[in-house]
This record gives sequence, C-alpha cells and structure tokens, in this order.
Amino acid sequence: MKSRSLSTLSLIIRHEARILVRDRTLPLVCCVLALMVGYGLFVGLAQATLRDRMVAQVAKHEQETQRANTGTLQSVLAGKSALVPFSNPANPAALAGTLAGRFATIPNAPLAALAIGQSDMMPNYYRISYLSKVQFMYDTEIENPWNLLSGHFDLAFVIVFVLPLLVTTLGYNLLSAEREHGTLRMLCSQPLSVPTLLTGKIVVRMLALLAIAIPLPLIVVLLIRPETRGVEQLLLMLSWSALITAYTLFWFAVAALVNATGLSSSANALIMVALWTTFVLILPVTMNLVVGLVSPAPSRTELASRTRVATAESLREFESLYSADYRYASDPEALLVKGERIEVPSRMRAFFLAKQRVDEKIEPLLERFDRQLLQQQRLVDRLSLLSPAILVNEALNSIAGTDSRRFVAFKDQTEAFHNKWRQYFSPRILESRAMTAQDLSSLPQWHWIEIPASETSWSIWWRTALMLALAFMVGGAALARSSRSNRIAV
Amino acid sequence: MFAIIAAKDMRELARDGRLLWAGGLILVLLLVALAAGWNRQVQLNNERSAGQALDYDAWLHQGYRHPHDAAEQGMHVFKPEPPLGVFDPGIGPFVGSTVWLQAHRQSEVKFRPAQDATGLQRFGELSPAWLLQVLVPLLIIVIGFNSMSGERERGTLRQLLSLGVPARSLLLGKAAALASCAGVLIAPVGVGFAAFLVARLPAGERLDVVYRISWLAAGYGLYLGLFVFLTLAVSALVRSSRAALVILLGFWVAATLIAPRTASEAVNLLYPTPSRLAFDDHLSHDIAGAASKAWAAHFGARTQWDPSLPLSKWGAALKVDDAAGYGALDENFGGLWDTFERQQRAQEWVGLVAPVVALRGFSMGLAGTDFSQHRDFSTAAETQRRKIQDIVSEDLIKHADPLGNAHFTYKAGPELWASVPPFKYQLPSVSFALAHHWGSLALLAVLFCLSVALAHYALSRPLMR
Repeated sequence: MKSRSLSTLSLIIRHEARILVRDRTLPLVCCVLALMVGYGLFVGLAQATLRDRMVAQVAKHEQETQRANTGTLQSVLAGKSALVPFSNPANPAALAGTLAGRFATIPNAPLAALAIGQSDMMPNYYRISYLSKVQFMYDTEIENPWNLLSGHFDLAFVIVFVLPLLVTTLGYNLLSAEREHGTLRMLCSQPLSVPTLLTGKIVVRMLALLAIAIPLPLIVVLLIRPETRGVEQLLLMLSWSALITAYTLFWFAVAALVNATGLSSSANALIMVALWTTFVLILPVTMNLVVGLVSPAPSRTELASRTRVATAESLREFESLYSADYRYASDPEALLVKGERIEVPSRMRAFFLAKQRVDEKIEPLLERFDRQLLQQQRLVDRLSLLSPAILVNEALNSIAGTDSRRFVAFKDQTEAFHNKWRQYFSPRILESRAMTAQDLSSLPQWHWIEIPASETSWSIWWRTALMLALAFMVGGAALARSSRSNRIAV
Repeated sequence: MFAIIAAKDMRELARDGRLLWAGGLILVLLLVALAAGWNRQVQLNNERSAGQALDYDAWLHQGYRHPHDAAEQGMHVFKPEPPLGVFDPGIGPFVGSTVWLQAHRQSEVKFRPAQDATGLQRFGELSPAWLLQVLVPLLIIVIGFNSMSGERERGTLRQLLSLGVPARSLLLGKAAALASCAGVLIAPVGVGFAAFLVARLPAGERLDVVYRISWLAAGYGLYLGLFVFLTLAVSALVRSSRAALVILLGFWVAATLIAPRTASEAVNLLYPTPSRLAFDDHLSHDIAGAASKAWAAHFGARTQWDPSLPLSKWGAALKVDDAAGYGALDENFGGLWDTFERQQRAQEWVGLVAPVVALRGFSMGLAGTDFSQHRDFSTAAETQRRKIQDIVSEDLIKHADPLGNAHFTYKAGPELWASVPPFKYQLPSVSFALAHHWGSLALLAVLFCLSVALAHYALSRPLMR
C-alpha cells in the first residue's frame, strides 16, 4: 500500500514537472528568482565589501597616527621641537583626545553578505577620545535618508518579501486549475488521493525554487569569501538553508490550504495575496507601531536637556581650571618634558575632567536607552510569533550578524573601552606624567568580543523550528481538509 | 447613462465581500495610524518647544563665564515637526531632530528615531501616506480587476452593448464606481482629519496647511486615479479575469515594492555617497587648508597656534579661523547634500514606470518631511551657530585679547548672552515645497493622462472578441 502510494507520488511528480517545464511557468519563475537572488546577493556583497574596506581604512589610519606620534614623541623628548599643547604626544591630555587616533571597530560577520539588516544605519566604528559619550556615540554612517527609508534590495528582502509571491504564483491554482480544466474529476477516478496529488505538486515546485534560492548564494559566498569556510559558518549556513526551506514550506502549505477550500483560481489568488499582504506588509508595520507604543524609547529631548545641565554644572565645577592663566604661547619652554613630567595646561585638564563628569551624570539615562531597545527587541521576539515574515527576517539578520543585538553589543563594548581609555589617562593627566615611548606602544587596545555563537544559534534554531512547526501545522490542516472534502472535485 | 452604470457597479461591490473586508481593514489602519501619529506629534512638539525655551533660558542665565566656554556649553535647537508629519512622516525616522550648537564644528542633526527602534522599523512605518501609497492601489486592483472582464465572462457585456451604451459612458461609469469605493473609505477620514488639524493650528499657519492639503489631495487623486484607469484598461484588454488579476498584481508588486529599492540601489551606483571616514577626512583637510591660508594672510603665521602668535590675538585668531572654516563647511556639507538631492531627483525618473516613487517624493515634500526641508532646518541651525560664534569672537577681541596671558580669566556677563537672539525657525512655506516637487506632480499628471488614454483605447476596441 505504502509503496504504491509512493510510486503514485513519484508519477505525479514526474508528470507535473513535465507540464510545468512545457508551459514555461516554472522556467520563468525560476529565472526571475535566480535574477533576484543574484542581484540581492550582489548588493549584499557590495555593502559588506564597503564596510570591510572602512574597517581596514580605520585600522590603517590608526597605525599611521601611531607611527607619526611615535616619531613626534622622539623628537619632543630629544628637545628638538616644542609643540603646541594640542599636538604634543608627550602630553597625556592631548593623546587622550583625538591625537591618538583610536577607533573601536566591529568587523563584518562572515555571512554579512546574506542580509544587510541594520548595518547600513549603525556605525561600524567609533572614534575613541575623552569626549563625552553623547558627543561621539551618535555619529552615524553617512547614508541618504531616502535610501534608508526605501530599504536595500538584499537577499533577505528577496527571501522575506518576494519568495512568498513566487510561491503564490506557482501555487495559487494547485487544485483549482485542475478543477477548472475538468481534469480533477478524471484524476479522482484514479486510485489516487487528493492529498497525494497535492503533495506531489508541491514537491516539484518547492524543489525547483529551493534549488535556486539555497545553493546559489551559498556557493557564491563560499567562493568569494574565504572566511565563510569554517565549521561554525557551515553550521550557520545549514541553519540558513533550514530556515528558508521552512519558510517556503509554510507558504506552500498556505497555498495548499487555500486550494483545499474549493474556490476558483481567482479567488485563491486573491486570498493568497491578502494573506501575503497581512503577514508581510501589514503585521510587521503594525507591530512596529505597537512596539513603539508599548515600550517607547525614552525622550531624546530630555537627554539633550540633561546634557546641557550636566555640561553647565561641570563648567562651573572646574571653573578655576578653565580660567587659569595660559602662558604657553609666549613661553613655549613651559611645554617641554622635564624629567618624567610635563605641564598639562589647566584648560586641557579641565576639558578632560569636565567631559568625564558629564558622562558620569548622564550615563544612567544613556543606559535607559539601551535597556529600552533590548526590551523592545524582546517584545519583537514575542510578537514575531504572529508573522512568519518577522520571524524569518530576524533570524536572517542574526545569521548575517547584522541584527540590532550585535550592534547593541558593539555599543556596550565601546562604552566599556571608552571608560578604560579614560581610566588609563586619568592618573597621568592629574599627576602631569609625560607619555613615554613605551606608554605609546602600550595604550589600551580595542578588541571586539564576538557574541557567543551558542546564543546566536539558539535564537536562530528556535525560529527555524517554530517556522517548521507552523508549516507542518498548516500543511497538515490542508491535507486533512483536502482528503475529507468531497466537494473539491465538483 | 454613466451614473446608472456607476450605481449598478457600486451596488455590486457593496454586496461583494472583498470591498467590505479589505476596505474595513484599511479604514481601521488609517484611523490607528492617524491617532498614533497625532499623539506622537503633539508629545514631541510640546517636548521640543519646552526643551528649546528652557535651553535658551539657561543660556541667558548662565552667569559670568569666558565666552568661549559658553560656546562649549552651546545651545540645543530642535526641529519642529511639521503639522502634516502625521500624514506622512517621510524621512523623519531616519534623520535626527536635535542639533547641539557648539564651537568649532558644524554640528549635525542627531538622534535618529530609527536608532532607538528595532529592525522592524525597516519594514516601514504605519502612516496614512503608506496606506494610500501601497494598500489602497491594491484595494483598487482587487475590487476592479474583473470589472470589464467579468462582464464579458458572464455574458452581460453583450447585452450591455446591444443597448447601445457608448464606450465613454461605460468607462466613466466603471471608473466612477471604483473611485467612489476608494473615496468612500478615504474622503470622510481625510476631510475630518484635515478639519481637525487646521482647527488646532494657530491662525497664521492655517492657510499654508490648507494649500498643502489641497496639493496633496491633487497628487493622491492623480495617483489613485491612475490605478483606477489602469485596472480598467487591463481588465478590458486581457482575455480573462484571472489574467487581469495576475498582470495587475504583478505590476503592483513590481511598482510599489521592488522598484523603490532597485531605484535607490541604482542611484547609489550613479552618485555614490561618501563614507563617514572619507567625508570627515576631506572636511578636516579642507578646513586645515583654509585656516592656514587665512592665518598666513592675517598674522603671517605658518601654522595654527604658531608660537609666534601671542595670546593677545587669540580672539582675533579664533574669528579668522572660524571664518576660514565656514567656506570649507559650506562646500563639504553642501556637496554631500547636493549628492543626496541628485540621488533623489534621479530616482524620480523611476516614477515613469513606478508611480509610487514620484508620489512618495511629492507627498513628503508637501507634508514638509522631505530632505530639502530637513536641509533648510540644518542650514538655519548652522546659521544660528555662526551667529553665536561671531558674537563670542567679537567680544573676545574687545575684552579678552587685551589681557594677554590672562586671556581666560575674562568673564562675560548676561548682556553678552542676551545679545544672542533665540533660535526661531519658520517652516518653509508651500511654495518652497512646490518649487522642489512640481516635477513629480507633472509626472503623475502625465501618467494619469496616459492611463486614461490607455483605458479609452482598451474600451474603444471591439470589446467582443
């Protein structure tokens, strides 16, 4: 019995494949998909390369500054050149500022080309100095806001938005066309169940779509980006494939369920488009509104006001340092390194201390922004159960390492590094200790610590599992309904 | 005759489930979007005007201080939300609203709302404009795809033609039915909200907003009208309802979903945006170049902060330095913003095949939430910053420079702070928006006429094939 139904299934699959190729639907749809996947991948690769290049440029910039500073320091220590306070690397207050040319950078995750996510909006480097966090943590990458609004045509877009539409094109008339052509009656007169027929039809279409959507990007990425060849990355690719399979299966299951209602092809197409619009367009946009209402971000206006108050207070606190006499222009000798000491101009000391004080005061508020964003993210995780599009989009972004979580982690680590940077300089500035050549080579170093892979893979696999469960549920309902319904063939 | 046709079609549509469900959903979303948008805007505007008043107050009462340190504290200015931002937030989520005017550098507008939001923001913002641009055309397609082909399939077209109904009446009647269905959904909410909005505004701003609303109505009218006639044309041209539906949905997906993204990718290749690093480097380089030239000309010093320059010229030097930087700032930021505007103008040509792109630019422009108006605000904020800087430097020259090394012991008082005027920003008027966006409106009008012509052609061909 089982082998017979299997052989019927394979018969249907072969027959269906032949028809779909002959009437050119399948080749056409596959071509469209291949084009879009290819273009999406191209866009993703271009963006990833751009960001790679930026990180490399920043690193180069940092090294060059380091070299220049070392050279200048030698000549300063040898007493060859007297410098203005701002550009003297022996002066710790100058080096703590932009003179050191330090950056915190976040490298692309190996699979970054698969989804652009938030990476076009969040900065992938911060310039580290003693400046207050409000002054440097909000520098964003330059991008035309219009383009940010339109969004990118990346692979994630093709998968989340376009793939379901192609499924709809292939699947809206699975049974209804047979009925409208009058062939469903004939088929039902054969020893063949409607669920088997439906399964066979879906298998052909799904395999054709997946044969393009999954291997094409993976092969290209594996060829172009050698860093994707590790075990961890291969596992991520596996989860990526599973996710896309589950998402495609879900939409085919929906198509099957719609077909099992026994309506006309036009009605089916309308229902499919309505469902697509609801899941992919309306729900995410509405959820975005809901998240903003339920868990609103703190007020940026308040942050600005608090910053002003904190700045004013710190100006008052270090008043005497700010208004001390300034004799370095007329007396450059004062700037020379004497023994291991250097006179740090009071105004520069005041800048350092004042910024530090501002941060101490507004830090709690800044933390509230980060906490709120994480809370919003948790809410999104829960709400994503309502729309497969959100679910898949979130998972695709975490696979590519372009989700908000990774950027929030980058921000956190940068803030910690910024504090460390200050702590390193604080005693030196207060005690007027001159920077030595050895100090210069042992400045605090930035290291990005990647989010633990276990955390990412957990968040990806539960989404994939959920997507699969959803697909099987809908699919099961469709098969059950199609086997029960007697009206289908009429 | 055309009224009878329209009435008959409307009755049919009203009895059909499609309009009821889809229309009901759109109506609910429209109301939710308006309520949420209005709530948000009132809150933001209150917060910002209060914040700005407090900020200026603090500036006035900052006590005795060295003017350069006062410029360090600086001033915050906030971008007011335009009244029609509720209708179309435009690029709002992706640009900031707060500028901290400080000494030395052009401050950028910071705090993009999208940075405080999750990745969901990238799916889009639920706004009335989004609904009208994306979902209402879909509604028109869904209720109208079989309006001609259905008649043919049911055999009623034969009877209709045998009565001697002219093609023009048929077209107008069908179009009127579709348009009224969309109108019934939008118009009451639209008119009600417009009245509410205008009534809440101060009398001086009302006229401008009324003009803006009328132009918006014209733009959206053309856009939705385009979809009405296109739907009718396709429905009359193709053989079956199914084919009409597939073609129209395909067009809708390509035009409203895929085209905007493809367009913005394409123009990025055409007019590349510089990276932050490259931009900053270029700017610093230009400023340094301009400054050294100015220093050489004024003081004969080779570098900035040259030891040969005594502190008794510090105020004067600051003034020269700033003035030299203004040119470089204008050039660099101007260049960047020109690139953005070029990118947008280039995209508007995509409007020829994807009308939503043309409409989006027009809608944002008239709502006051497009880039040109953001640029206007940024420029105004920068002008204010320069005003502060110039006043401060002038005062330093007068009072601090004579003190020599004790330059920084000088403290200015309330009279100096009061000489800096409060930041008053007037939103640009409707003519500013029209000057930037008349092209998009013209494009929409042309497209509308083309769709009418296509529908006319489709219906004047022999309908019984």
